[in-house]
Amino acid sequence: MNVEREGDYITLSMGPHHPATHGVLRLEVTTDGEVIRACKPDIGYLHRSIEKIGEFLEWYQFVPYTDRVDYVCSMNSNHAWVCAVETLLACSEETKLAIPERAEYIRILFAELNRISSHMVGLGSMTMDMGAFTPFLHALSQREFINDIFEKTCGARLTYNYMCVGGLVRDLHPGAEEEIRAMLKGLERAMIDFNRLISSNNIFKARLAGVAAVSAEDAVSYGLVGPNLRGSGIDFDLRRDKPYGLYGRFQFEVPVGKAYAGSEGRLGDCYDRYVVRLLEVLESIRICRQALDQMPPASGVEDDLVGGWCVAKAAQKALRKPPVGEVYFRCENPRGETGYHIVSDGTKFPYRIKIRTGSFTAMSIFEKLVPGLMIADLVALIGSFDIVLPEVDR
Amino acid sequence: MTISVGPVSDSIASWFSLRGLPLALSEILAVLVVCVLPVVGIVFPIAGVAQYFERKIAASMQRRKGPMVGAVGIVDLVADMLLFWLPRWKRRAAARRVERLPVLGALLRQVRQWGLGSMAADGVKMFLKEDMVPGGADRFLFRGSTYLALTGAFLAFAVFPFSQWYHMGDPPVAALYLGAVTGLVAVSILEAGWSSNNKWSYFGGIRAVAMIVSYETPIALAIAIVCMWSGTMSLQGIIAAQYHPGWFSFAGWNLFQSPLLTLLAGVYYIAALAECNRAPFDLSEGESELVGGFHTEYSGLRWGLFFIAEYGDMLLVGGIFATLFLGGFQSPIGEQWIVSLPPFAEAVVHTLIAVAKALASVGFMMWIRWTLPRFRIDQVMKLAWTKLVPLALFCLFGLALTQLVAAQRVGVVQVVYGRYLSAPVVRLDLFSWFSSWVLVGGAIGVVVWMAKRAAPAQAPEMRRLLGKESA
Repeated sequence: MNVEREGDYITLSMGPHHPATHGVLRLEVTTDGEVIRACKPDIGYLHRSIEKIGEFLEWYQFVPYTDRVDYVCSMNSNHAWVCAVETLLACSEETKLAIPERAEYIRILFAELNRISSHMVGLGSMTMDMGAFTPFLHALSQREFINDIFEKTCGARLTYNYMCVGGLVRDLHPGAEEEIRAMLKGLERAMIDFNRLISSNNIFKARLAGVAAVSAEDAVSYGLVGPNLRGSGIDFDLRRDKPYGLYGRFQFEVPVGKAYAGSEGRLGDCYDRYVVRLLEVLESIRICRQALDQMPPASGVEDDLVGGWCVAKAAQKALRKPPVGEVYFRCENPRGETGYHIVSDGTKFPYRIKIRTGSFTAMSIFEKLVPGLMIADLVALIGSFDIVLPEVDR
Repeated sequence: MTISVGPVSDSIASWFSLRGLPLALSEILAVLVVCVLPVVGIVFPIAGVAQYFERKIAASMQRRKGPMVGAVGIVDLVADMLLFWLPRWKRRAAARRVERLPVLGALLRQVRQWGLGSMAADGVKMFLKEDMVPGGADRFLFRGSTYLALTGAFLAFAVFPFSQWYHMGDPPVAALYLGAVTGLVAVSILEAGWSSNNKWSYFGGIRAVAMIVSYETPIALAIAIVCMWSGTMSLQGIIAAQYHPGWFSFAGWNLFQSPLLTLLAGVYYIAALAECNRAPFDLSEGESELVGGFHTEYSGLRWGLFFIAEYGDMLLVGGIFATLFLGGFQSPIGEQWIVSLPPFAEAVVHTLIAVAKALASVGFMMWIRWTLPRFRIDQVMKLAWTKLVPLALFCLFGLALTQLVAAQRVGVVQVVYGRYLSAPVVRLDLFSWFSSWVLVGGAIGVVVWMAKRAAPAQAPEMRRLLGKESA
């Protein structure tokens, strides 16, 4: 007997001002009691036309805008943009830049630190969505330590504007290496505490186990990237499989989902995505330590150290007349693959910029994934995708 | 005609009439003192102060300091009110002078440092906020539900024994009455959720009703089992049956009488958490899912009334837990000297002990709240019907069997406790007590061991995350 009746559904407008949507996301949810029958994401509340603005800015001026594309991991966005422009400049021998090795190491060091801090926000806010507020603050306090280091080096805590075409704005602040090492040591201990407090908690596991499992095929066909893709068991990481910068020089594992939640769990469920992020934090710590070990010491001459448009004449010259052409550059960001497609017509302004972000592509799978979940599961799903709304809308 | 609710009210009435008040008036005043004082003098202040302590407890668990300075400096506030005709800078200067006074200034600095001003600031804020009723709301129900929430919490205190002499009443069916009035909370939350004209509130109301009605079952079972064990439904009788003469008076508490009663205490406590909508069962609020749940649309003092009702509920549940399992108002170390005090002194000491036990329970609830995440509604239901109810039934049959066997082996006794004589109860001798712990403890141990063996091995990644294995 079919007990479901049409017309008994409630339409809920979840967002744009809802505590669990992590920003101004609106989900049009049709529910049958607690069970959701349909879900339609409504995005665009935070659209600032960053891509269009980029066409009226010089190449180096766009860096602060990349901070705002994903403010939780500005360093990685900076990295993706400067790498894209440097790849464009490398198309011609005249404009090709020699980036100082130390600058490359610092880029990777800071990108990984920012990955940790971004995952701390993602993991912490996920626990808060599940109703546990204490671990959220524990996670955020670790992020503060990373922000302290960033602030000392580049003067900002959120939107760094630290990397630039050809290098960095400035070198690490004195004593940064020791500070970072001490911070990483504390972070490792804090992660164990965090995991014992919440990640291994039975209620938390039960809330996430088997919820919104994404099959490997779906993950690929809906264009999931980063931890969301790897949570479904697909072993793909740009840092290892298509290394950019100096990533080829580091030893690290790529964690993938393995139905970690035990008998209740399924491959690619919310708990897998959560655990993949936890493991990625540990791998990032490894990469940071290796970068600190391998990094050439500061030579004391600013130009040699960091390069960059503000100090290196070569970069200034190259950016006035870049080669004509198109570049699509992909970077492994905390929220997955971020691609910058830039078209150059040989002037000092980009002809066209297109940014491909992980959070935006994750939106498309909602309509398929959500029907059948409960309202509380939808909150878990949003948290486990770790979406950041400015990245969705740009 | 005499109006009286027990000897405490009688003695207060005679105190009034000795000072020249008409007899009827002094009797009514005495009854008011006895009936209103527990709520106005104990529950309301504690509910107000509890928020401060909850903030401090949460802060200490989150490695931060919590409230430090009130939203408005206390001295500044007083200076603003008393010296309102002066310009602002003069008021500030006067306040600074007060703060430099030798004793008062030190006290005020301490108050600021501990953030005690935040209590007053919160209260003032709540009073001053606009009392909003959303458009399209059912105004009558919207306003009524706040009072109903308080009613549910406070009616139960009518039978709550603060001491042998100090209670509003001790009907022989007090346990039944408790079960009836605590259900009012569900009605008030449903009313609030329904009348707010907000879908999130509505979801909160529906969730609360589904949950509270389910959890009434284990609670009612737990109370019934304790009544069975004590042979009475009167709360004073239940407490009297837990009396154990001598310095180790905690040995008489139900919690330690049998392992099954310890288990039952756990069942009751978990179900009671759900009954007062506390984490991990705070689904009807669920701030990350339902925005604010049933009280999304409430503001100002109306919201505050819900808040006080919640803390009143917690206090009540802690008190009932103490009554059923922790010997009520009895002191854990040596009870005989308190019982033999004169009624008024006995009432004071016992009330303090009862409130302390309830507060310990409230503190434990806060600890739980700031540690655990929230359940999902189906898990909550599953927990009630597949875990708690069968466990309570298991305790019911186990304890009935224990009583049967023990009554045959060692017979029944009637405990004399102050002015009360308990119903005939069994007191296990050392051998039966010890063997019951071995039996039940062993059975639980075997179940846990089998569950651990049946569980799949932890993935190496998970072991690494927990620090048990290095990479």
